[in-house]
Amino acid sequence: MKLIKAIVRPNKVDDVRDALGRISLPGMTVTEVRGHGKQKGHTAIYRGKEYDVSLLPKMQIEVVVADNLVDEVVTAIITAARTGESGDGRIFVVPVEQSYRIRTGERSDT
Amino acid sequence: MATSTTAIEDARQALSVAAARGDGGAAALRRFSDAVDELLQQLCDAAPSASGASLVVALGGYGRRQLCLHSDLDVLLLFDGRIGEAEEQRVRAILHPLWDARFSVGHQIRQVGDFAELEIDNPEFLLALLDARPVAGDAALLERIAGRVHSPAARGRIFAALLRLIDERHATFNDTFYQLEPDVKDAPGALRDVWAARAIAALTDPALIDRGAADRARLDAAEEFLLRLRSMLHVEHKRNNNVLDHETQERAARLMGYGGGPRQQVERLMGDYFRHARAVSRSLQTVRHTAPLPVAANLVQARDGIQFVDANDAQRHPERWLSLFQAAIDTGSAVADPTLAWIEERVDAHAPEAFFPAAADRDALLAFLKPRAGLYARLSEMHDCGLLGRMFPEFQAIFCRVVRDFYHKYTVDEHTLLTIRNLERLATRAVRGRERFTALLDDLPHPELLVLSLLFHDVGKWRDEDHVDESVRMAREMTRRLKLGDDSAALVEFLIRHHTRMSLIAFRRDTEDPEIVRQLADLVGIEERLKMLCLLTLVDVEAVSLETLTPWREELLWRLYVDTYNRLTLGYADERIAHEESGLRALVAGRPADVTAAEITRFAEGLPRRYLQLFPADEIYRHVRLSRDMRPDDVHADLKRRGSLWELTVATLDKPALFSNICGALSSFGMDITRGQALTNPNGLVLDVFQFADQERFLELNPAGKDQFVHALATVISGQVDVAERLRTREESVLYRRRSGVTPTVPVIHADNQSSRRYTILDLVADNALGLLHRVSRAISRHGCDVDLVLISTEGQKAIDVFHITRGGAKLPDDAIAVMTAEIHRTLEG
Repeated sequence: MKLIKAIVRPNKVDDVRDALGRISLPGMTVTEVRGHGKQKGHTAIYRGKEYDVSLLPKMQIEVVVADNLVDEVVTAIITAARTGESGDGRIFVVPVEQSYRIRTGERSDT
Repeated sequence: MATSTTAIEDARQALSVAAARGDGGAAALRRFSDAVDELLQQLCDAAPSASGASLVVALGGYGRRQLCLHSDLDVLLLFDGRIGEAEEQRVRAILHPLWDARFSVGHQIRQVGDFAELEIDNPEFLLALLDARPVAGDAALLERIAGRVHSPAARGRIFAALLRLIDERHATFNDTFYQLEPDVKDAPGALRDVWAARAIAALTDPALIDRGAADRARLDAAEEFLLRLRSMLHVEHKRNNNVLDHETQERAARLMGYGGGPRQQVERLMGDYFRHARAVSRSLQTVRHTAPLPVAANLVQARDGIQFVDANDAQRHPERWLSLFQAAIDTGSAVADPTLAWIEERVDAHAPEAFFPAAADRDALLAFLKPRAGLYARLSEMHDCGLLGRMFPEFQAIFCRVVRDFYHKYTVDEHTLLTIRNLERLATRAVRGRERFTALLDDLPHPELLVLSLLFHDVGKWRDEDHVDESVRMAREMTRRLKLGDDSAALVEFLIRHHTRMSLIAFRRDTEDPEIVRQLADLVGIEERLKMLCLLTLVDVEAVSLETLTPWREELLWRLYVDTYNRLTLGYADERIAHEESGLRALVAGRPADVTAAEITRFAEGLPRRYLQLFPADEIYRHVRLSRDMRPDDVHADLKRRGSLWELTVATLDKPALFSNICGALSSFGMDITRGQALTNPNGLVLDVFQFADQERFLELNPAGKDQFVHALATVISGQVDVAERLRTREESVLYRRRSGVTPTVPVIHADNQSSRRYTILDLVADNALGLLHRVSRAISRHGCDVDLVLISTEGQKAIDVFHITRGGAKLPDDAIAVMTAEIHRTLEG
């Protein structure tokens, strides 16, 4: 069982959601985040004054999947979120030890 | 008549004796007043008859039966009909014996008809009428004028006059009743304040006199004490002198029976005086603060809010109902609940147009809609009582309308009003961290049109289909009824039609894609529309639910705004009007008869494309006409008023330092340039449009001012006059003078060689000052640069100007930019 955490452009969230829907992934968590990677942000000018925009708005998508689905999900996200330009984001795959359903208290595998 | 005169002397003697033993209070003064009444009745009986009914009316202190020994005898001689010879004989027969009897008579002679219009410029007389009492003659005459004097509107005017008189009188005593030698009639806490407290209660709410710190018994006791003192002072001074000076204090204390030595007697007397004065002052203060306060014509501010004084008048004039809500905003209060209920009962009887039948009413409505503290609360009151929905039936269509989706948490009408509340919070700086958006709002020349757009942006949701087209259609009905100008109506329609566009782009599109930003810039065209659309988006998203507008979304919206703003102000120069431009073709197709297709094309082709969005077609045709028959030294100028500002349009052929000279000419007349555009077409034709404030009202006060100004402009542009010389005197006196209370800020100059293919761009933000544009552009010209395009704007006290410049037809190298910006810095920092 793996947690797949994807940081994508805000305008790509709908595309990623659709792509994950097409491979019948049941659930996802979306969070508004700000940060930078290699893209590092830039300095913007407004009315003659520079201001720092190094922390760029991004969306973080989290899904937990069975080990055998990781490659398929990662591919789907990359395909949907890629523009080929700097700033497309990152995907992290993290092991998940246990998972519980709060309503019932039962332990689940995904 | 000798008997009467003797009776008056006897009455005087009796009052003197009573006063001298400290017993000249209300009862003694009433007896004296009654004696004077008797005399007047006898005089009236004996006087020749008037041609119609007549009446002698006691006024002021005499009207209250508190006539003191040497007080003026204030009387009104009232006649029913014209005052002719017979009336004059009667007046003489009444007044002469009074003068013979040593009365100082303050007389007013009036016909009943004179009271058709109240003498609002004579507040003392109006106040004296409050105590009017018939003495001799036909008392019905007084009843006939009483209705007018005591009408709600007259009461409001009298009340306002009374408050003004109280303040003026108190000011002459330095606003304190702790006077060592008090005037027992006029000082704060003295007799006039007793009467004022009672008058305020009588004019507004008689129960006030028994409420809070106001205390009828203490007021009566104070009055009795003060009357006794005043009577004694009249005896002591032998004239109408009411000052309790040190010398008189000793005698008064002794006569009024205070015990102890002379010093103790005085201390006890004055102790009592100050105790009574304090009671009077507190009573007056309480009555003043709790009395319904006149705040506008036919409006008072009562404890529970703003209400009409005369409901009958209000019922006849629905166009005045909005003034209730305007007054509530002005005074920071609410509209009284009973008044809202009153409106609710009657509002359906009127058509929408009845609420703004005249241009002044429509202007008042737009002024009311300016975002500021209280607007949301007042609009909500108007909505709750049905007035808003009656004024705008389109808005009533979304009353409690429920639209179920994943986002909206409120009914459509409340969501709409919340957008206006959010805008109000921006205007009042109620949300920390939103200053950048507040600055956009501050910069809008017509924020009320944004509120109007918000009010209508979702009205189309009354039906289930796509609401935007329907909202636009309904808004057109409204702008037609309001007779909104074409530009304003187009702006409102634009904002409503595109109210979801910016949130869609900011949150769902790749805003780092320059093409996305270009498309938005093309859509809005000019900065004002961008700012309004940005603000509309912000407050609209925020009004969806408490969770919708996250700081993350706010940041996305702001970055989209900045990128688009930069595109509009820095990148616009590269996009020129082409021969086949659709906007140009539309201009040619719709041209008036006196303008040819060729001259439109010759004039507009090659100007920045934003020109077509900046000016409506009629203005563009005017510019074409202005640019006709242009020879090298010609200056074609047009000056017209635009609301509180003036607008100067100049067409001429380009030459060195042209822009600097025009700005200098404006500044030399003390004009404060607030907005403007400077444009140059490829043929070297320059079109400059400036909006400015005529701070010294030169153009308004001088009939020949416009001609004088245009002539001076022409002489400066042609080089006949050195504008620097014209400005020198002003600069020495004003230029470096800091505005009081404004902390000077360091000017910001940013040079940009990237945003435009053709131009070096100088972006300047500095404290606004007279001659600023002239000095900056002069410095640019000194470096051999041509100023081809300029955007001028102000935001509060800040000037925000963007210059597009070239030297020898090319961008400037970096070292030249550095030298020039350093000089501009030196120029600005003095």
